[in-house]
Amino acid sequence: MAQESHKWGMVIDIDRCTGCNACVIACQSENNIPINLEAHFNQRRAIQWIRIERYWEGEFPNVKARFIPIICQHCGNAPCEPVCPVYATYHNNEGLNVQVYNRCVGTRFCANGCPYHVRFFNFWEPEWPESLKNQLNPDVTVRSRGIMEKCTFCVQRIRRATRLADRDSVELEDGDRALNPACVNSCATNGLIFGDWNDPDSQINQIKNKEMQEGGRAFGLLENLGTSPNVIYLKQVDESAEGHHGH
Amino acid sequence: MPLTRRQFLTLMGGSAGAAVLFQACGIPEKELLIDSSVEMPEDLVTGLDNWYATTFQDGLSSQGIVVRIMEGRAKKVEGNTDHPLNRGAHSAQAEAMLQALYHPDRISSPLVRTGTRGSGEFREISWEDAIARLASVFDNLSDTNKAVMLTDIVNGNEKLVLDKFVSSTGIRQVTFEPVEHTNLLKAVDHVFGQKNIPDFDIDNASLILSFGCDFLDTWVSPTRYSRGYGQFRQGHHHRGKLIHIESRFSTTAANADEWVYVNPGTEGMVAMSIMHEMASHGEIDTSHFSQSDLYKFEKYTPEFVSSLSGVSVETIQHIAEEFSHSDHPLAIGGDSASAHTNGLQNLIAIYSLNLAVNNIGKSGGIIFNPEPPIAGLESNQPNSSQELMAIVDEVKSGEIELLLVKDADLYYGLPDSMGFKNNYSNVPMIVSFGNMMDDTTSIADLILPQNSLLEDWGTDVPLAGPGYQTVGFQQPVVRPYFESRGQNLGTKGFSDVLMTTAQVMNVDLELGADTYKDVLQNTARELYELNRGDINGSKYSSFQSFWNALLARGGWWDHNYKSNHSFDFGGLVDIDEPSFHGNGSFHLIPFYSSAFHDGKYAYLPWMQNLPDPLSTAVWETWVEMNYKEAESMDISEGDVIEIRSSNGLMIKALAWPNPATPPGILGVPMGQGHRDGGRYSSGRGSNVLSVLGLNFDSQTGALAWSSTKVNITASGENIRLPKLENSVPDFPRDEHNHVVEITNGKSSKGH
Repeated sequence: MAQESHKWGMVIDIDRCTGCNACVIACQSENNIPINLEAHFNQRRAIQWIRIERYWEGEFPNVKARFIPIICQHCGNAPCEPVCPVYATYHNNEGLNVQVYNRCVGTRFCANGCPYHVRFFNFWEPEWPESLKNQLNPDVTVRSRGIMEKCTFCVQRIRRATRLADRDSVELEDGDRALNPACVNSCATNGLIFGDWNDPDSQINQIKNKEMQEGGRAFGLLENLGTSPNVIYLKQVDESAEGHHGH
Repeated sequence: MPLTRRQFLTLMGGSAGAAVLFQACGIPEKELLIDSSVEMPEDLVTGLDNWYATTFQDGLSSQGIVVRIMEGRAKKVEGNTDHPLNRGAHSAQAEAMLQALYHPDRISSPLVRTGTRGSGEFREISWEDAIARLASVFDNLSDTNKAVMLTDIVNGNEKLVLDKFVSSTGIRQVTFEPVEHTNLLKAVDHVFGQKNIPDFDIDNASLILSFGCDFLDTWVSPTRYSRGYGQFRQGHHHRGKLIHIESRFSTTAANADEWVYVNPGTEGMVAMSIMHEMASHGEIDTSHFSQSDLYKFEKYTPEFVSSLSGVSVETIQHIAEEFSHSDHPLAIGGDSASAHTNGLQNLIAIYSLNLAVNNIGKSGGIIFNPEPPIAGLESNQPNSSQELMAIVDEVKSGEIELLLVKDADLYYGLPDSMGFKNNYSNVPMIVSFGNMMDDTTSIADLILPQNSLLEDWGTDVPLAGPGYQTVGFQQPVVRPYFESRGQNLGTKGFSDVLMTTAQVMNVDLELGADTYKDVLQNTARELYELNRGDINGSKYSSFQSFWNALLARGGWWDHNYKSNHSFDFGGLVDIDEPSFHGNGSFHLIPFYSSAFHDGKYAYLPWMQNLPDPLSTAVWETWVEMNYKEAESMDISEGDVIEIRSSNGLMIKALAWPNPATPPGILGVPMGQGHRDGGRYSSGRGSNVLSVLGLNFDSQTGALAWSSTKVNITASGENIRLPKLENSVPDFPRDEHNHVVEITNGKSSKGH
């Protein structure tokens, strides 16, 4: 990683994803996401920066369930950014789609604009019992009522790892667990891989180069919308399927 | 000059004003550098953190974890990359150990009951008083045999201390798991002659045939198996194939290339039939089979088995062909396949498939686990439900004078028809070591709360190891949370409490140690003197430096010390037809909840808000049923369904009709329906274990928990099923570009 600026990105291999949800809780723990109560789910206001969606295909006995993890795609051409009247969401010079909490006034235009539905509005002041607050990550803001929040690729980890690398005069290492977002480190099947698109040797670039070729499995989620996501998905393989699948 | 308060404030105000003035006249370009309105803690990064290694024991297996500590508080759990079992990954449950530590309803001191049993009225007492009370109960026993210690499956030094305590005091010890693994362990012993569960080399397998076990989500060691699964799918040139045979559509079924529905309890016959087919084509390895074994599967022709199992002749034939021709075939089974009256027979047949392709000790096959490096650390074996029922019978007849309960919530986990709930008052004294008010702790007379996982010492020699000698070390990564309450209140380690109690009773446990940490250090000293392993004692100048390295690494393991793989096969057995409890029209298949497992994690709010992979439901108990069947019964999602077993017991669950559940099957997750357990689980949902009929495996006495037949009625009420699905709109489906690759690696371009 010798280059000056970074462009952080991720590869999500759906063929490895088992839908186990370990990433969801790892994210909740790392990023001070409030406990989603029953009422939050019923009002469709649960906050999950990463979620596993399940899609059905067919019916018994020829039935399949497909899992796909959905996070903020950190789009190069993000529909959420130009609509913000107060510049609370912007693209930083490392390819991250960043949300500035103390600028946000809660118009929710960004959530309307996002085709991936990965932006969440705080309809309530987040609450934890006093003792559970001991677990909260001091590196991450607790978002108050009335503002938007979303996946940051665990920017606090990127900052910390960068600062420590600077201090020790070493370069950031591709795949360093101190740099990886929490979801990536938790994934047992290595279905999530994080790295720098500007580093030609990074693992994500190696995968991209291989899977973008004819016969490869790479695709961008809703890429036909022109959002140029920073996340690449790899298709699931199903040798036994017949007919058309997918979404 | 003496200052009045008013003068002081005036002066302070003036100097503050001056400071502002000076600032305003200061250097403007510096101000511009400070982008204060967008500075967030994410950018600031203050404070130093430390990551400490410890071990998370979870039933039959475990995970090495590292915990992030800042200013004495635990902030984050991640997998320990060095630990051989999980190699850096970790489960949602491991993460939630943070909430177990900081749970708002944790018990913060020893308690003695003041109100009637179950009233929840307790009074705090000191540890000294509590241990004196416990010791006096022992002294007043009419017969030490009338005291029973009920625990979860324990191993390592905790088991060592427990064994010594039990043998020195003459009490009995019984292991309790709500969903027992008796049949699995007996089958492994029968087929492979092993006391431990072997490792399954999923990484290198080319074809996995799994029967009933949801190994990607809940079965035995899901994090380890998922580690292998990632490699199995995309780590090699040839993508592995997973064929899953189960009566219910589980998470593993969802991930399988081929899910085959099988009638409940006939899994073993299908396995026999596969061997029959392999033999009839001369494609069976007979090196482990005797002549009589070869006769055993003769009657299980695909035609015969098909009529009983519902699996078509063609399916059996093609599985047999693929299994015998695969380079690295592997067969595993458990859970619902083992939870029948013929459960042991089922598993013997299933695991014998591995002998039929002779994959023992081979890449992609069955890898035996060697004995632990130090005798006595091996895990204890689970007791069967029939053995537990014998204890409950003694409870009923008033023969038990003292019940000691450690991580064994039998009030919750035993089926109601066993009669514990109605008869526990016959036990004069119930002592719990729980640190949460679980259902059994809430009926206890004396509570000696143990430390939480992150506050305690321990070692871990899992029943399902990585295929070589492993001793995980658990250390306190934070000081006990209730330490501020003083020496006489707060929580203490379970083993330490046993050792102190023995001291008070003047019983010598012959451990050669005063504290549990000393016991651990004695074990570490033995490991040090072995002079082998990945943390090799010979490379350290002193024991202290070895000990430090051991704790920093999270344990000791020797990847060169493996099993020699010699064994005697116990022989194939005939498979009886399964018998069911009750005559209802639906098969009730309880399943391990992805979040709560058998119920022990229901008190954790992160687990309550964790969506089930398939239903995406949270915070509730639902019942999976086939959507066409539901439609014909005029049942829709959220309808409150009353599920009745023939013993007159009933639970309620919210209907979740879906396209995957087979007709005639009802799947209900375990884990909810706690009477107590803190604010997050108390009175929430239903406990499916409570309605199960008392139907046992004919040979092992294991509860056939998947063999209850029930009837259902809609109560007429409808409650919205809380779930993640539909929180956001589905992504549009694109008929021309496919997310799922259909062809055999020769895909077309597009997405």
